[in-house]
Amino acid sequence: MLPQPISDSGAQLQRFPLEVRDAFRLFRSTGDIASLHLVVLAVVRDYMPRSGGVVLTEEMRLIEDLGYDSLAVAETVFFLEDLLQVRIGNKELMEVRTVGDLRSFVTRKVEQKRSAVA
Amino acid sequence: MVVTGLGFVTPIGNDRSTVTAHLRAGQHGLAPVEFLGNPHLAVKVAGTVKDFTVDSTSWRDWKWPAEYEIPRETLRGLAPHGVYALCAVTQALRDAGLSADAIAGDETTGMFCASAGSAMMGYHNLAQLHAVRGERGNPMGVINAISGTLNFNLAAHFHITGAVCGFVSACASASHALGYACDEIQLGRLRRVIVVGAEELNAETLLPFLAMRVLSGASDPMLASRPFDAGRDGFVGGGGATVLILEEASLAAARGVRAQAELAGWGQAADGYSMAMPHPEGAGLRRAMQRALACSGVKPEEVDYVNAHGTSTPVGDRAEALALRSVFTDAGAHPRVSSTKALTGHPLSLAGAMEAAFCVLALKEGFMPGNPHLVTPDPACEGLDLPRAAVAVAPRVVLNNSSGFGGSNVCQVFRASA
Repeated sequence: MLPQPISDSGAQLQRFPLEVRDAFRLFRSTGDIASLHLVVLAVVRDYMPRSGGVVLTEEMRLIEDLGYDSLAVAETVFFLEDLLQVRIGNKELMEVRTVGDLRSFVTRKVEQKRSAVA
Repeated sequence: MVVTGLGFVTPIGNDRSTVTAHLRAGQHGLAPVEFLGNPHLAVKVAGTVKDFTVDSTSWRDWKWPAEYEIPRETLRGLAPHGVYALCAVTQALRDAGLSADAIAGDETTGMFCASAGSAMMGYHNLAQLHAVRGERGNPMGVINAISGTLNFNLAAHFHITGAVCGFVSACASASHALGYACDEIQLGRLRRVIVVGAEELNAETLLPFLAMRVLSGASDPMLASRPFDAGRDGFVGGGGATVLILEEASLAAARGVRAQAELAGWGQAADGYSMAMPHPEGAGLRRAMQRALACSGVKPEEVDYVNAHGTSTPVGDRAEALALRSVFTDAGAHPRVSSTKALTGHPLSLAGAMEAAFCVLALKEGFMPGNPHLVTPDPACEGLDLPRAAVAVAPRVVLNNSSGFGGSNVCQVFRASA
């Protein structure tokens, strides 16, 4: 059984800019993957331990390039699990190294969940 | 060993000059409070911390004075009282003439912390965990909540490599931290220890004491916290952080820094009586005071001022008064005695550090705090010198008392620097 959301889905994005919340709403209503990607990028930026005006690219490595540590990775995953109602295991997580990895990994998880529901 | 720096985030001020002014004037820092949206609770006032907003469980909502920088890398693991503590450490380092770089990675500098943890964060984190039947939880949920939260976070932030440790003996915690810091320096294991005490003031920290029926229900601050008064009816909560920088005297001298006071020694003893109540005659506290005096080579008549634990509870103040009479009055000694909790409320784990720092201010600035809310002294205080107003006389030797649940009693003796 999947965990139940702590609050109404999407409420966790309250602190994010309107465009991120709109993107999440669009993803929820249409399944638009480009919108999901925008949300994931915003979450990655939000959990960077050292804030800075970095423009995120697919190739950037979470730890080496963005200053993530294992706690920040765990925080990001906790947030995404809660937001998207997916479960991400420790082993799966170890394969995620770059921003692009995380994006495609989250996409795959969401699609798996969708096909399971269908 | 000497005290070279102090840092304050307290109900009576967030810097040493404001705190000193409040102590001299007998001006309290209590303010009206309401918890859990319930105006009917019998908790009306508390020693609130001003200029900080840390009542949310999300660090993203917190606010603190602009003079302190807290990077998000540090912020994400802090408990609310960790914010107070980090600012107080920064302030104390500045006061001691130490840069953050000077202590980072210095293997002779340690940090001893006193904290009960954050019940608010713990409750929130566990509620999240329960809501999803343990499937997931906040990865910061241990670091930002359990009673080691101060040492975990501050040691990492300030890159402490000498030693780091936490102390948990309820209202004697910070006094224990100070005492063992004293020992570490005396044993030559460390040359400098940053002693930190901090406490939150929120429903989760304070209301469990309402359930124990030990809080004052008075709404007038002058009546709510009145240690040693015959009409006292319980303690008033308080929050904040205080930091003392303790250094080997030769290290301070080599740095060209003037000592603010000497920590002459300390002592502790246990009651062996009750999990929460003090021994009715303050037997453990009496022995702790005697041991602190013996450790410092000080006779009772040499003590000019005692900063009492005096929380304003009927049972606690009586026990302390009897212990004080036994140590001092019976020996023909008459130090001035006051409890500054009349002004600050009782900040639990923080109390020992805050009041030790008040003792250092008394020695350095040349005055003794009074008991401004005292009207009718409890007959148990007969023979004790309890001045109402602060006394404009410089003490030479002062004693700081702390007592905690389980019968922990810890005292320190401070001496004016030559």
